[in-house]
Amino acid sequence: MSVQQTSEMVGVDGVRKVYGEGPHALEALRSVSFSVETGQFVSILGPSGCGKSTLLNMVAGLDHPSAGTVRIQNDPVVVPRREIGIVFQDAVLLPWKTALENVLFPIRIMKLPLADYESRARELLEAVGLAAFMEHRPGQLSGGMRQRVAICRGLVHDPEVLLMDEPFSALDTITRDQMNVMLMQIWERFKRTALFVTHSIREAAYLSDRVIVMGRRPSQIVCDEIIRFPRPRPLSMMDSAEFNGLCAKLRAKIDEAHGFDSDDLH
Amino acid sequence: MKTGSGTITPSVDRGLRYDLQIVLTVFRQARVVVLPIITTIIILAIWEAGVRLFHVSPVVLPAPSLIGANLVSNFGLLMHHAAQTTSEAAIGLCLAVSIGFCCGFALAYSPMFREATYPHMVFFQLTPKVALAPLFIMWLGVGAESRLAFTVFIAFFPILVSTAAGLTNVDESYIRFSKAITASTWQTFLHIRLPFALPHIFAGFKIGVTMSFIGIIVGEFITSQAGLGYLILFASTRAATATIFASILVLGVIGMLFYALVALVEKLVLRRYGSR
Repeated sequence: MSVQQTSEMVGVDGVRKVYGEGPHALEALRSVSFSVETGQFVSILGPSGCGKSTLLNMVAGLDHPSAGTVRIQNDPVVVPRREIGIVFQDAVLLPWKTALENVLFPIRIMKLPLADYESRARELLEAVGLAAFMEHRPGQLSGGMRQRVAICRGLVHDPEVLLMDEPFSALDTITRDQMNVMLMQIWERFKRTALFVTHSIREAAYLSDRVIVMGRRPSQIVCDEIIRFPRPRPLSMMDSAEFNGLCAKLRAKIDEAHGFDSDDLH
Repeated sequence: MKTGSGTITPSVDRGLRYDLQIVLTVFRQARVVVLPIITTIIILAIWEAGVRLFHVSPVVLPAPSLIGANLVSNFGLLMHHAAQTTSEAAIGLCLAVSIGFCCGFALAYSPMFREATYPHMVFFQLTPKVALAPLFIMWLGVGAESRLAFTVFIAFFPILVSTAAGLTNVDESYIRFSKAITASTWQTFLHIRLPFALPHIFAGFKIGVTMSFIGIIVGEFITSQAGLGYLILFASTRAATATIFASILVLGVIGMLFYALVALVEKLVLRRYGSR
């Protein structure tokens, strides 16, 4: 492993994204720069269409900036890398494989020895409460359970960075709160750098060390807030005045940046 | 308690009703087999009676009893020609599946190939291909080569189209996920596209079975050398209509067996790769 100059894990530098050319060109991201330190949990917050998923795809190597660079451990990202684990909004589990086989799927693709990682896969599934469901197929699992399997799958190969693109947006609010707690517990245990895209202010405030708010298209960062609540964070924290004050502050920033266009905030 | 298909698991709530429950469940399941048999017997009875009552000539429409007798007396002959037809149909099907699958794969993975050949595919699909049979005879002579070539020509289109469609119509989120975990194009094909495409591929495969039999029979009609198609033609020149019917019956049974074999393979494969 190379010695790092700084403790930066993910670096985004002057990133710009333009779709199309000429008069019909769409500028999605104008100039985005930020740095994520090793072990930080950072949320990217904003309503739909502000380019946050585009940004995450660039870190994942699935998309490329029109200008600027994206780095992981000081290496520019060109193609998807093993250092990242990813969870999408749709769990995307293979329907013919069991939960355990699905979690181990990246190991097979990366041609790592299965035997070495099987115990880790089981440990992860137990940590998310799916010990009794390892041999179940996705069709036999609820939406929340499938997303839990997807999170285990994102962590199985011990990545440096876990990227999550609105993983709980498709779930109901009650399940979503439970998922947030579960994610917190998993993160406390496996402590990886995390980049979490969401449109939920409460979720971002609860989970993160730092919230980056994206502005209206062509997007820039309008706010970079450090969250200082001590860990571990109980769910009851969400009822405190301090927490609600923070959420109000973030909401104000978002309203300021987006006006009345944003209609899917809560 | 399961109703309809499945296991016999009668409810055991009351000891008195237990026997009745078993009888009812068995009856329900036997119905699936017994009803078609009864229908067949009724049809055969009407046929037999009708032929006798109206004194229909055995050259026009032989009675089932006559066909049955013919089947028994000509059994050796029928089996000899059946073997010929079956072996050629099997070879033709294997070739059609191989070529169809490979071309389907090429169509799915090469936009250039797809654009270059798609209009031709559509044209050939719409042309009545049976009309081209004599052309194959002219090119390849009167023998197994021309029959096989023609069979493959007819049978490989449905396999090609369904393979290409199945491989292409995979949910993009799976492909994106595959790229994100650093899978190569080959790995994406093997682990994601192919399993998702299997139901489509098998659907095309089943159509291919039917087509390959049509191809061989038409080929045998024209090349007149051996096989059940040849036998039907030969029998027609002798006005041996009962033999024609017997041949058709054997042909139908063989076709059904092929189809059942493919359906069985499909069931086994989809048990592993299906989405349940």
